[in-house]
Amino acid sequence: MLEPDVITTAWHANLTLTLCEACDSHYLLPPGLFPFKCPTCFEADLIEIEAERQPNDLLHHYAPELLIPFTVSQQELTARIQQFTGRIWFAPSDLKPNTLLNRLQRLYLPMWLVDSGVEALWQAEVGFNYEVVSHRDQFDQNDGGWHSQQVTEQRIRWEPRLGRLNRTYHNMPAPALEQHTQIMQQLGQYHLTEAVPFQAQALDQAVIHLPDRPPTDAWPDTIPAFHAAAAEECRQASRADHLRGYRWTSDYRDQQWTLLLLPVCATYYVDDEGRPQPIMIHGRTGRLSGPTRASMKRARTTALIIVAVAAALFILSLILGGISFMAPPLLILAGISLLGALIIGMLAITPIIVVWQYNRNQSNRGEREAQ
Amino acid sequence: MGTDLFPPINFIPVPSAVEGIEVYQPAPVKLPAHREVVQFNCPQCGANTAYSAADSGLTCTNCGFYEPPEHAVVGIQAQRFEFTVDTVQRAAQGWGEARKELQCQSCGAYTTISTDSLTHTCIFCGSNQVIQHAAPQDVLRPRFIVPFKIEAEACHDIARQWLGQSWMTPRSLRRVATIARFTGIYLPFWTFETVTKAHWQAEVGHNQTERYYENGEWRTRTKTVWQWESGRVTVPIKDLVIAGTNRVSPLLLTQVKNDNLAELAPYEPKYLAGLQAQTYDIPLETAWEQARHLMREQTRRACYDQASNSKIRNFHMNLDFDQEGWRYILLPMYLTTYQFDNQRFQVMINGQTGAIAGQRPVDWTVLWLAVAALLAPGLTVGVLGFLTLMLGGLGFPIAIFGFILVVIGLIISFNWVNKAMRMDDA
Ligand SMILES: [Zn+2]
Ligand SMILES: [Zn+2]
Ligand SMILES: [Zn+2]
Repeated sequence: MLEPDVITTAWHANLTLTLCEACDSHYLLPPGLFPFKCPTCFEADLIEIEAERQPNDLLHHYAPELLIPFTVSQQELTARIQQFTGRIWFAPSDLKPNTLLNRLQRLYLPMWLVDSGVEALWQAEVGFNYEVVSHRDQFDQNDGGWHSQQVTEQRIRWEPRLGRLNRTYHNMPAPALEQHTQIMQQLGQYHLTEAVPFQAQALDQAVIHLPDRPPTDAWPDTIPAFHAAAAEECRQASRADHLRGYRWTSDYRDQQWTLLLLPVCATYYVDDEGRPQPIMIHGRTGRLSGPTRASMKRARTTALIIVAVAAALFILSLILGGISFMAPPLLILAGISLLGALIIGMLAITPIIVVWQYNRNQSNRGEREAQ
Repeated sequence: MGTDLFPPINFIPVPSAVEGIEVYQPAPVKLPAHREVVQFNCPQCGANTAYSAADSGLTCTNCGFYEPPEHAVVGIQAQRFEFTVDTVQRAAQGWGEARKELQCQSCGAYTTISTDSLTHTCIFCGSNQVIQHAAPQDVLRPRFIVPFKIEAEACHDIARQWLGQSWMTPRSLRRVATIARFTGIYLPFWTFETVTKAHWQAEVGHNQTERYYENGEWRTRTKTVWQWESGRVTVPIKDLVIAGTNRVSPLLLTQVKNDNLAELAPYEPKYLAGLQAQTYDIPLETAWEQARHLMREQTRRACYDQASNSKIRNFHMNLDFDQEGWRYILLPMYLTTYQFDNQRFQVMINGQTGAIAGQRPVDWTVLWLAVAALLAPGLTVGVLGFLTLMLGGLGFPIAIFGFILVVIGLIISFNWVNKAMRMDDA
């Protein structure tokens, strides 16, 4: 059983462990934010978990080690949100720049960082650059015949190498959320080189999403990073310019798991059906990702208004038709308004088709991105 | 990979630049220690052994012990080298010292030999030695060789056939076919290969006949219509052989050299035992330039062939040499010289193919004597006939007969002189 001060020790901040019962996500919340909507699904308020009910498997006994700070500016966020909301016809009434901006919440997504000792037997082909002398000649019938030019070309000499390796590699990243790959596809990658050592003051009223993927699941995902790091070091060890076909058999020891925090701004809007639609913005690049839903309600209203206009025109044409018995020239006007009523009446279907088409395209795209 | 198998056989450690990582590389193929002088003695009786063209091994001159060659023939698969900046720079350095003092390992006698000789036979004890100079770079030592196949004894037959019934040649040359000593010598050659990639453009002319009206009548004239054409040409050139020495007549070398490298074998000092061999004196760069000139001309002809007509003007082409490679090889030759008219002439026989070339100067004294001898009977008979004619009618047929003899003699003489002039030019 973990005491709440375990969290304080690891995070150097007074944070509360909370849970969203709608999506089963765990968060660390800075003081004074209660009540707070789940920044992943926005379906429910987060509830605090008392010390004796806290799960002891993976949630919070991993200390943060690195953090990528927020750098995206307020102007950038505003511009992105305005661009996002501006591109939808018949947007739901809740989809307004100011609403979205007011609901913005800073959120850190977790990633595993693994340190591990590696013992391996490796083999590869290493390449060394060298230069060869070559020639380019030119012949011109009108310019004295041949001209020759010596050029130097670079080539690579490949040689086999093998050896033993006993090294420790630090901070090999692996996804800590089941949704990680999908989120990265939508938001774009984060660069590990931009990470700085964790400091509690960098949290600054941000909510921390805790891992939902245990190290045992994440471990296989770190192997390519260890492989690449070892290959690069073996190239350096061989004093070679290139390396290819790196193969190894590796044993790992003394794994240390810590967290890397990725900055995300989260917000949402409520669609026609009253469902919250979450939106995420990359905390460095400002790239925005979220479902856009056009409002069928507003489309129907618009369609009704158009139908009403058509009906009014139709009635006008009837009246004009009646009067035309006395003033025959009015018959032409009556004909024009009848035609107008017909055309406008047919146009009334357009908003509904547009919205239907738009929502269908959006959900198709969402499915494609999720794959 | 199991730990117990580490490191694998034939791998040696190399210094690593990263602590905690061990690096191993394949052990270099163990070359026999570089021996500056290789001596050839029979393991059976201790007498001198020499390379024998008859069985392509070492044969003892004393007891007949035979030692077969170690390496198989590699032919045109023989390794090629690249023009690395390093090689090109070092190849320009040459061989350093001009002469070398050599002590015979059999009898201890000292001789001075020039550094362009690869072999030496001790004049005091007759032992055969192969000198392996330290080259400016390992690749610049002879690496491949076509061993002798034609035996020295066969040279006289080849020479006799070549001379034919050429009685007009000097006696000293005719002796070549009987008693002259043909010296077996390995001469240095460079082989080159490349793929030339060219792009050309030119105006190509086509003739067109047109009718025109002038001075009240229709005439026709031909005019050339020029059109721009262009194309790309890729010419792979393999194993172009260029002589590596200036010491023998380049003309003779081109006549006897063969581009058939199918019998190329890795160099072994054994092949040189009892024979002479020369190192190159035409450096790699010079030979390569010569080869490039031939290669680019070949490529230019290929471009011309691509044009739709041979009438071409404003021709321009860009050529890129690609995949360049070279080899330094030794080819077997038999050489002999003879003297005539205070001049030295060379005769050369290819030790692999038996092709022969040489200058055959004409002994004009002998020829004119022969011509005189040929014409003499006719003239004598003619004069005889003329004299008899003055005595009576019987002289007339005699004079006719003499005249016919002179004509036949003239025809044959003319033929001889013609042939002699051709031989002399060669
Ligand atoms: Zn939730
Ligand atoms: Zn013997
Ligand atoms: Zn001696």
